[in-house]
Amino acid sequence: MAGKFDLNGGDGSEMADESPWADEGDGVGYGSNPDVEWAKLSNDFTNAGYREGITAGKEASLQEGFDAGYAQTGAPLGRDIGLMRGTVAGLLSYVSLVSQGQDELVAEIRDISNQLANIRFSDIAPRDMEAEQHALEHLESTGEAVDENEELEGKRRMEELEDMLGSLGRGGVKRAGIEDVKRLKERLDSLCARLEVSCG
Amino acid sequence: MASDFDLESLVNLEQTFYDSGYEDGFNHGRIHGLIEGRALGREKGFEMWEEVGFYEGFAKLWKAIYTRDRRFDDRGLHHAQQLLDLIAQFPMANPSMSDASDLDIPRLFRQIRSRYKVLCATLGVRATLRAGDSSPTREVEEDRPRLVGDGAKRRVWEVQSGGQGSISGGLSF
Repeated sequence: MAGKFDLNGGDGSEMADESPWADEGDGVGYGSNPDVEWAKLSNDFTNAGYREGITAGKEASLQEGFDAGYAQTGAPLGRDIGLMRGTVAGLLSYVSLVSQGQDELVAEIRDISNQLANIRFSDIAPRDMEAEQHALEHLESTGEAVDENEELEGKRRMEELEDMLGSLGRGGVKRAGIEDVKRLKERLDSLCARLEVSCG
Repeated sequence: MASDFDLESLVNLEQTFYDSGYEDGFNHGRIHGLIEGRALGREKGFEMWEEVGFYEGFAKLWKAIYTRDRRFDDRGLHHAQQLLDLIAQFPMANPSMSDASDLDIPRLFRQIRSRYKVLCATLGVRATLRAGDSSPTREVEEDRPRLVGDGAKRRVWEVQSGGQGSISGGLSF
């Protein structure tokens, strides 16, 4: 029997308590009603396999998902925002060095800077349609939502709290979106053009 | 009739049930791993490149200013260029996907940050603290780089799924 646990390289040791094979020794249970026993046998072993499989499958693909999310979404989007923030910080440092009373210019740079500072990844991240679809399937089939990753859930709750605090006294805050980022980019580009510097 | 009974197939029956369950479970688990991994990778990639991009944008702007003013021998321009050269080495993808043979991300990150500070000092402007810099987690992560360097499974950002405990500990670079 021992060999049966050598599936996919796993040693199966964590199965000790839940393994249907563990029941075999007791000699009772099997044999009273063949149909019931058949169903039980099928269920027990199928479910045990499913449990092991789901864990193994998740572990096997986590890194692949991470790499994809990093390279396809996170890094390029972060770079876009970072470049804008860096450019704006550079402009601000520049005008502070050569300030000749260009108040209007400084005000424009500061406004862009402030708006950029408020943008979060969650404001501009594209939706993960596959994740949403799968969460929906879970909700429909089991009535339960899929557990969110702890760290990300914590971050999301913190943002909700910030929004709540931020909206006190200001009657609601509308989060920026990707369209706002585009507009800020245009303003930034025209600033650079005004100063005759080429901003990438 | 008894002789037709294949005992071997009955023994294998349990295994067959188990295997079919395992396969279904594996396929389902794979979807969850991809989804959760993707969510984590998106956040991490954004965080890293938001900071690096900031330095890049800053350096590019100053390079553009020096170029506009034709101050090609200025020290500031050299520092800006050196910063940009460092940033050009910073990967847009988790290096595990390509070859991470001798890429030391934490070291490169430190070099980029200090080169940025040097540039600021040269320009006579205050180095801007990045929005995320105040968060302790970033520093903590840096203090314990977990570069996995054991040949076969080299990853720079290694995700470990932990049944117990938060996954955050496994995300490292």
